[in-house]
Amino acid sequence: MAPLEPWEKVLVDHETFSQTDHGELTCIQCHGGTNIADKDQAHADMIASPSSQPDVYCAECHEAEVAAYPNSLHNTQAGYWTAINTRNGNIPEDHPELNQMFNNHCATCHTTCGECHVSQPENVGGGLFTGHVFEKTPPMTRSCTACHGSRVGNEFLGKNEGITGDVHFREARMSCVKCHEGADLHGTADAALASDHRLSGAEDPKCIDCHAEVASGTDGIDMHAQHGDGEELSCQVCHSVTYTSCDGCHVAVSETSGNPFFETEATYTTFFIGRNPIQSEDRPYKYVPVRHVPVATTSYEYYGENLLTNFDALPTWVYATPHNIQRFTPQNASCESCHGNAEIFLTADKVQAVELSANQNVIVNTIPGPVDLYLAAMPQPADHTNLLTDSCISCHTEGIRNAPIFPETHIEFSNDSCSGCHKLP
Amino acid sequence: MNKRFLTGTVIVLGLLLSGCSTKADALAEAEAATDTAVVEPSPTSVPEAGECLACHTDKQRLIDTAKPEEEGGEAESKGVG
Repeated sequence: MAPLEPWEKVLVDHETFSQTDHGELTCIQCHGGTNIADKDQAHADMIASPSSQPDVYCAECHEAEVAAYPNSLHNTQAGYWTAINTRNGNIPEDHPELNQMFNNHCATCHTTCGECHVSQPENVGGGLFTGHVFEKTPPMTRSCTACHGSRVGNEFLGKNEGITGDVHFREARMSCVKCHEGADLHGTADAALASDHRLSGAEDPKCIDCHAEVASGTDGIDMHAQHGDGEELSCQVCHSVTYTSCDGCHVAVSETSGNPFFETEATYTTFFIGRNPIQSEDRPYKYVPVRHVPVATTSYEYYGENLLTNFDALPTWVYATPHNIQRFTPQNASCESCHGNAEIFLTADKVQAVELSANQNVIVNTIPGPVDLYLAAMPQPADHTNLLTDSCISCHTEGIRNAPIFPETHIEFSNDSCSGCHKLP
Repeated sequence: MNKRFLTGTVIVLGLLLSGCSTKADALAEAEAATDTAVVEPSPTSVPEAGECLACHTDKQRLIDTAKPEEEGGEAESKGVG
């Protein structure tokens, strides 16, 4: 997004603004300062961003939103701290260095009410959207993708060379808020329910909120009948395409300017299916697309040694929801696109040696075999319903209780993959 | 004695009723005054901002008075953020 000229950032369209509710207030009521022609005197004690104090300037009219704001991820940036603290090992002695790092490099993504509803975020240079007119729905490219641009924005809008934009944008002209509604973005007033990460809690939005026929198996599509139960695959496994990954982000403060800066070692596009590292009742999928995040063991070394001593506690290939959904993709073109095709899976050979341990619960060790194998697989007996899915080899290795011993061709399969072929009736 | 008692009682009651009447009138007057104060906006309660708008609606004046912007905090960054 091209930065605005300095004058452009603060030019007020008074004719339009004065017709709006916010236009009934005078400048000084929100921004302070003095009504005087001299610029410096006028701007003395001026409040550039009144909504950085939402309880003072916004709550009188927007009580519910202001009550939720303290718990909103746009305010707390809790997702950053969840990852930083986990990889650090929550060592209290490291917090001064980590706080300094966070404030220099991460806190710039903090968002106020005004940075979504009246101006571009400070992080991208700021500047009024439309002459100070407040927008109930933030303009997508000047607000949402101004920050969420390098991955989500580029994918959604089709800005990655040779990769088509998301069908929801390309065909239906949907903007971010069509799925990510205001209530989701504003968060909750109940601190106990506040998210500590964008993927915590229920999956919202969920594809089947609109595409219910997929989950019910009534759309007549064979692959949905096989995989659309929402247990094995996330929708993006079949319906997203190549997306961006990054490696080796390092942060520091410039010796010449004194400004903080970052440097990433590599940015590239991939499409890899991995095991779901955050499998839960809310996100039960066994397989999901995984994206490499640019963290490295030395990412924060400018601020101190060994700040990521617990690096292996989180994967570097993470659960991804690429925003470039297509109806037809290379992987849903045929069964063989995935079955027996190791290229499409995050296997150990695709992971850097130093990150193998961190990604143990993401790496796919056993590639799903040919479809014929699945179709020929004997279903489990009905009385297996109450057995634990990961306990198959307990009986089927030794033939306990007359259980058929699994053949030698199965020797490389992992214990938790049996039910992938041998379905319950 | 009865006559004196009756006269005294009448005087006391008269004074009491007179007092109540005065208090009720005063309350009514106060409420009326308060109502009037709430309804009528103070002419000096909203700060004027004519000078703010004179500048911030004038593109050329903003161009003329703009200070050069400092380099962004992460202008020396390399790669995708």
